[in-house]
Amino acid sequence: MEEKKYETVLKIFILQFAAIAVILPFVWLLSTALKSPGEVFTPTLKLIPDTFMWSNFLEIMDRAPFWLYMLNTIIVCVGILLIQLLLVIPAAYAFARLDFPGKDVIFLLFVIQIMLPLESIIIPNYLITKKLGLLNTRTGLILPFVASGFGTFMLRQTFKQVPNALEDAALIDGAGHLRFIWHVLIPLSRPTIVTFSMISIATHWNDYFWPLIITDMDRVRTLTIGLGMFVQQESGSDWTLLMAATLFVCAPIIAFFLATQKTFIKSFLTSGIKG
Amino acid sequence: MKPFIPKGGISMRKTCCSLVFILVAALLFSTPTWAEVQIKFYYPVGVAGPLVAVINGMVEQFEKENPGIDVEPVYAGNYNQTMQKVQTALLGGNPPDLAVVEISELYSLLQMNAMIPLDPYIEAEGGKEFLADFYEGFLGNAYGRDGKIYGIPFQRSTPILYWNKDMFRAAADKLKAAGLDPDRPPETWAELVKYAEILTIREGNQTKQYGLIIPGGWNDWIFEAFARQNGSQLIKEDGVTVTFNSPENLEALKLWVKLMQEMKVCPVLRPWNITPDDFIGGVTAMMYYSTGGMAKIRKTAKFEWGAAFQPKNKQYGTPVGGGDFHIFKGIPKANQDAAWKFIKFMTRPDIAGYWSIESGYVSVNKKSYELAEMQEFLKQFPQMTVARDQLKYAYPKMMAVNYQVIRNAMTTNLDAALEGKKTPEQALQAAHKMIEDAIKGK
Repeated sequence: MEEKKYETVLKIFILQFAAIAVILPFVWLLSTALKSPGEVFTPTLKLIPDTFMWSNFLEIMDRAPFWLYMLNTIIVCVGILLIQLLLVIPAAYAFARLDFPGKDVIFLLFVIQIMLPLESIIIPNYLITKKLGLLNTRTGLILPFVASGFGTFMLRQTFKQVPNALEDAALIDGAGHLRFIWHVLIPLSRPTIVTFSMISIATHWNDYFWPLIITDMDRVRTLTIGLGMFVQQESGSDWTLLMAATLFVCAPIIAFFLATQKTFIKSFLTSGIKG
Repeated sequence: MKPFIPKGGISMRKTCCSLVFILVAALLFSTPTWAEVQIKFYYPVGVAGPLVAVINGMVEQFEKENPGIDVEPVYAGNYNQTMQKVQTALLGGNPPDLAVVEISELYSLLQMNAMIPLDPYIEAEGGKEFLADFYEGFLGNAYGRDGKIYGIPFQRSTPILYWNKDMFRAAADKLKAAGLDPDRPPETWAELVKYAEILTIREGNQTKQYGLIIPGGWNDWIFEAFARQNGSQLIKEDGVTVTFNSPENLEALKLWVKLMQEMKVCPVLRPWNITPDDFIGGVTAMMYYSTGGMAKIRKTAKFEWGAAFQPKNKQYGTPVGGGDFHIFKGIPKANQDAAWKFIKFMTRPDIAGYWSIESGYVSVNKKSYELAEMQEFLKQFPQMTVARDQLKYAYPKMMAVNYQVIRNAMTTNLDAALEGKKTPEQALQAAHKMIEDAIKGK
C-alpha cells in the first residue's frame, strides 16, 4: 500500500508537470497579447500586465480584415474536409474490401502522395489552378487538397479491421456497397474519421504558403496571411500584436479540439494507427 | 521591303483580329471604367508597424493623382516568400506588373529573363539628372551585368551599431579607467572588443547584461559588413568570383568567435527578430542591427540611445540592404508605363520622405532631406541622420544567381563556426565551396 501511494503521488506530479509545460505557452500567449509593447521583454518574469491592453485586438482588426480572413479560412477548411470525406471513404472502402486490377499499384501511388511535400508540387499545382481560372478563388484554395492519400490510408486500415462476418450479414440483408458503408463501416470507424477530420482541419487552418502564392486579394485570403503581417524580418516583430493575432487565429481551433476531444482521444485508443 | 507573310498568315491575322475584338468587347462590357490600366504590385513587409495600411494609403494617393491607373497592392509575406510568390507567378506565366524584392535577388530574376530594363524610362526623365537624386550606395544593386538598370530603390537600409547611452554612463568609471570615453560608441574593432568586455555584467555564471549582440539569422549580412571593414568582400561585383575564404574574412570570423566563444560578451546566434527587444529590454548595451529597426526602438525604448557607424578596422564599410522596385516582362506596355509612373511617384522626395518617417527606412531620395517636415523629423530623431550618413561608406550588397541557396550556405557555416562546431577556417572553406558550386549551378 505504501508503495502504491508513493506511485500515485509520483504519477500525479509527473502529469501535472507535463500539463503545466503544455499550458504555459498558452498562458504566455494570452499574457503577451494583453501587454503593452514595453512590457514584453522584462528582466524579471511578468505574467500579468499593468494594464490590460484590449486595444491590441482592435489594432489587429485595423491592420487586416481578420473577420473576413476567418470566414474564408472556415469556408476553405470545411470545404476541404467535406470533399475529402466524400472521396476518401469510398476510396478507402475500395482499397480495403474490394478486388480490382492494379489495386496494389494504385494504392502505392496513394501512399507516395503522403510523402510528397507541398513545396515540390507547387508549380504544377499553380499551373493547373491558373489553367482552370481558379487563381484568387476559394475553390483554388480547396481543390489541391481534396484527394488525401493520408486519409485514404488511415481509413483503409480501419475498414480492414471490420470483421468479414459483418459484411456477409449486411449482404444477406440485401445491403449494397453504399448502404454497407453508411450503416456499418462509418459508425464503426467514427473515431478514425473524427481524428482524420481534426488533422485535416488543423493542417489546412495553418496552411500559409499555398494561399500566399495563389491569392492576391483580401476577399479570398486566409488567417495565416494576416498573421504573417506581424512577423517582420528587419525590425523585429510587434510581439503584442503578433500574440493578439495568434490568439485570434488559434482560438477557434482550440475550441474545436476541446469540443471533440473525447472522440479524438478514444480514436487513438482504439484505432490501429497511432500518431 | 517586301512584307513577309508566313504560311497561315491570314488565319493568324484572323485570330489576332478576333482576339482584339474579344479584348475590346471584354474591356467594354466587363469593367465600366474601361480606360483604366490595372497594375498588380507585390510587396514584402520587412519592418514592424502598420505598413500594409501605409502602403495602401500611398497607393490611394497615387490613384487620386493619376486617374485611369488602378494599382492593386498585394502583401506577399516576408522577403523570401515574396520572391517565391514572384517566381511561381513568373513560371506560371502570370507575372505581376510590379514587385519589390530583396536586392540580392536581382541576378536570379535576370536569369529568368523576367524584368525589363528601366533605362528608356530613366532617359525620358532626364537620365543622369534623374538618378542623381538617389543615393549612389543604393543604386549599386540596381544594375545587371549588362550595365542596364533593372531596379529602383524603395525600402532601403544598412546595418548600424545601436548603443544604450544609459548603460555606457553607468559604466563610466570602468570605461574611463580603461582609457575609453563613455560618451561615445566604439569606432574601431579593437575598441568594440574593449567596450563589449567592460559593458558585460556577470553574476556568478549568469550574464546579466551583454556588452554586444551580433544577431543570428541575417548574420551573413552583418558579416559582409565586417568583410568590407577589413577591406575584403564575399562575392565580387561580377557575381561569380567568390572570395569567401580570404584572410581578411577569416580575421573577421575569428573576431566573432572570440567575442562569442572565448570572451562570452556576445550571446551566440541570438535570433534576429528578438535582438531589438533585447536592446529595448536592457539585455545588451550594444547591438548590430538594421536601420529598419529604428522606428520600433524609438517608439518603445525608455532610455537614451544612440546610433553610430559600424566600427571600422581598415576602413568603414557596410553593405546596403532592403528591396527595390522591378517592372516585369510579359505584360502590356501600358501596364509597364503605369508601373513606371507608380515607381516615380513612390520615390518622389515627399513620398519617399513620408515612407521613411513611417517605416524607419532611409529615404532613397536625397531631396527628401531638404523638406521641412523631414528636417523637423530628424531634429526629434537625430539617429536617423546617422543611418543616412553611413551611406558614404556603403557598398552594394553582394548579388549572385541562386542567392537563396548561397545565403543558406553562408548562414549554416557561420552558425556552425559561432556555435563551435567548426573552426573558422573550416567554416569559411566549406561556405566558399558550397557557394562556388551554387553559382556554377551544381
